Amino acid sequence: MWTYLIGRVLQTVLSMLVVISIVFFLTRLSGNPIHLLLDVNASERDQQILMHHLGLDQSLAVQYGLYVRNIFLGDFGRSVLTRRPVTEHIWERLPATVELGMVAMFLSVLIGVPLGVYSAVHRGGTLDGAARVFAVLGQSMPTFWLGLMLILLFGVVLRFLPAGGRGGIEHLILPAFTLGYFTSAAILRLTRSAMLEVLGSDYIKFARLKGLHEQVVLWKHGLKNALLPVVTFAVMLFVQFLGGAVVTETVFAWPGLGRLILESITTRDYPIVQAGVLVLSALYLTGNLFVDVLYSYLNPRIRHARA
Amino acid sequence: MNPRRWIAPMVVAALCLMTAVAAQGQAAKPEGTLTVAVATFGNERWLPHLYVGAEDVVLKPMFENLLTRDPKTGELAPMLAERWKVADGGRTWTFYIRKGVQFHGGRGELTAEDVRFTFATIAKDGSANSLAPEFRLIKSMEVENPHTLTLRFEKPFVVFGNKVNQGLFASVAFIQSKRHVETSKDDGAERVPVATGPWKFVEHVRGDRIVYEAVENHWRATPNFKRLVFVKVPEPSTRMAMLRAGSVDVIEIGGEYADELKQVGVRTLLMPNVSWLYIILGGQWATKSTYDPKVPWAQPDAERARKVRIALNLAVDKQAIMQRVLGGLGTVMGSWLMYPADPWASDALKKPYPYDPTKAKALLAEAGYPNGFETTMNLTAWPGRGFLPDVGEAVATYWEKIGIRVKRRPVDRAVFAADFRARAYSGVALAYASPLVAPEPWEVLYRSGYTKAALSLFIEHPKLDEYIDRLAVQPSHTERVRIMRDEMGPWLSEFAPGVAIGSAHAIAGLGPKVGDWPVIPGHMGFHNWEFISRAR
Repeated sequence: MWTYLIGRVLQTVLSMLVVISIVFFLTRLSGNPIHLLLDVNASERDQQILMHHLGLDQSLAVQYGLYVRNIFLGDFGRSVLTRRPVTEHIWERLPATVELGMVAMFLSVLIGVPLGVYSAVHRGGTLDGAARVFAVLGQSMPTFWLGLMLILLFGVVLRFLPAGGRGGIEHLILPAFTLGYFTSAAILRLTRSAMLEVLGSDYIKFARLKGLHEQVVLWKHGLKNALLPVVTFAVMLFVQFLGGAVVTETVFAWPGLGRLILESITTRDYPIVQAGVLVLSALYLTGNLFVDVLYSYLNPRIRHARA
Repeated sequence: MNPRRWIAPMVVAALCLMTAVAAQGQAAKPEGTLTVAVATFGNERWLPHLYVGAEDVVLKPMFENLLTRDPKTGELAPMLAERWKVADGGRTWTFYIRKGVQFHGGRGELTAEDVRFTFATIAKDGSANSLAPEFRLIKSMEVENPHTLTLRFEKPFVVFGNKVNQGLFASVAFIQSKRHVETSKDDGAERVPVATGPWKFVEHVRGDRIVYEAVENHWRATPNFKRLVFVKVPEPSTRMAMLRAGSVDVIEIGGEYADELKQVGVRTLLMPNVSWLYIILGGQWATKSTYDPKVPWAQPDAERARKVRIALNLAVDKQAIMQRVLGGLGTVMGSWLMYPADPWASDALKKPYPYDPTKAKALLAEAGYPNGFETTMNLTAWPGRGFLPDVGEAVATYWEKIGIRVKRRPVDRAVFAADFRARAYSGVALAYASPLVAPEPWEVLYRSGYTKAALSLFIEHPKLDEYIDRLAVQPSHTERVRIMRDEMGPWLSEFAPGVAIGSAHAIAGLGPKVGDWPVIPGHMGFHNWEFISRAR
């Protein structure tokens, strides 16, 4: 088990190195930030001074070497735009993203799992059909459109909820639902198919023959085993929420990490883009690692095979 | 006389007077929050050598300049300087700083030292401030006493008052506290900025919100709202929805939403003639190494090039663009960088080229291009002018109708800014809207249409240099008006390498909390926050 874990950690580190290298070189291809930091009529001398100040006058190889060394020393640099430490910017935005991601995830599971189980148990019924329509809609509706429609309905017409921005719990409902709807539909489908497979298995038939209560059969024996792929999917989705919620964050003016990275791309704020992508890839790879370990815990066969 | 007969009315009158005074006091007291949704905060910097100019909208509530513009006449008017004196034909400017103006948070009284410090900071090497080139022309700054500062220039600088002017967009020579910046250092002063304006800084969450609080009993104007909150909402549809939902009270919005705002019954604020819209035809810099003689509109044969330029103008229905793309918010004009009410905009100059594609095609044939030619239209959006790619697209479509093959190139502002500087966009066209950053058109050309300027927005020509050099040192406003109207204007109409479309207005969406909002004509972007009244 330990050998496996160490191997996975090494793989993770290597993957991150590849990611940061790609991000470093790609951001340099996108244009020079000084053209946004200085007025269009700035002199050649002003440009040179700023280039030197930001270290952009050095060769690409030197910049890359310094960048990798500093990361290993825990220094992510300073924002090109604000000159404040990049970590400060990330920490400023991360809570909003985590908050939105967690509530969206909670809603997704709360909607997706029970509906998936119900749909599997009542396969072919009216509610199963309705749940499948719900899933298809959720997976085919563009997030920005859904977000705008929800804003119009609940914010403008009914005036139940705020139309955007971050504040109290009421500000969270619409963006979390928008973000969570797509995934709740996916979780519903996954739970449904996993439950159908499990419910047809011999041990469930045996449990029923033993005379166990149907609710115990479903929720204890059935769902517990059907949850394995759902858990994997949910964890990876949560990590994706952290970086991939940029559309939702933009539509709802939510000051999260995704929007920070997007804005930093448009302003060529290399250090923030690099650090943001690094944080997200670290979370993604850690999430992967966590899922692997969780798998081993939930499924003894995997644990024994790896051991 | 029986005293009881007049005591009673006197007491009643006194009570009425006291009630009226108290009511007036209450009315003047700032109350409530005004929340404003804008698309961008600019670079979100607070020190004069770090902000560029696009931050104007969100910085203006708390900062003040030495001068401003009279909203009715457009003339220079006092602000932090209670008066000023221009001597030696524009070589010497003396500012008399208003006494008793306090920096926020008990940072002391404004003095001439603070002004000198601010100007030196703007001018220092590496400064990002858009006014840095102008402030570097200052030869010396002399603090004559705590409230008098004299600036000296090598050459006459007759319009320096427009560089320290609150009443213009991107006029960001905002006066800072020397003591605060020196004791807090750049980092501290950026986190807790201090100024003299009617709003003081409370909070800044980068990319999310900026919060100001009203300064009670401010020397100039006490705001009617207690708090002013800017939220950054990049998506225009969300801004619209937030306004309609009552989440915000003011939104920045493009003219393309004018009809929609009207349909849903949202009030709008019109800011007339805030930018000048045109199509730049790149490549007009015959003395530079990037000059390409093969570009049809800039070729060495002046007559053929002129015919091509006129054909490109005749091919475009400017009125349709103004109506369809800008929602009717603008005035079609033929003159360059002039607004309808400017004294130098004569009727002859204002007249645009008519829409005449047949004649345009004939002129192209005369110029040697019967089958048109290939060109590139850059589609680039600039802050506050999101309509520009649509204008570029519309013009490209009109050009195609006369046989020109137009390749569209969506390109980011940062990428294209480098081309501007390097004069590396020969043969490329693009839609651009110059904000009114200076009242006189030659001031704009001095920055962007002058051989000695750092960049070229569209033209360089010895004749234009000559006009600019003459205007820059001409102290008489009347004479400058004459030169612009009778000499430079007609010359530009003949030689300006572009398609003149006209002056564009801007609008804002207003919620029910907002009462009257007086604006300075020609000032792009929100301003005068302190004068917004609460709706009854």
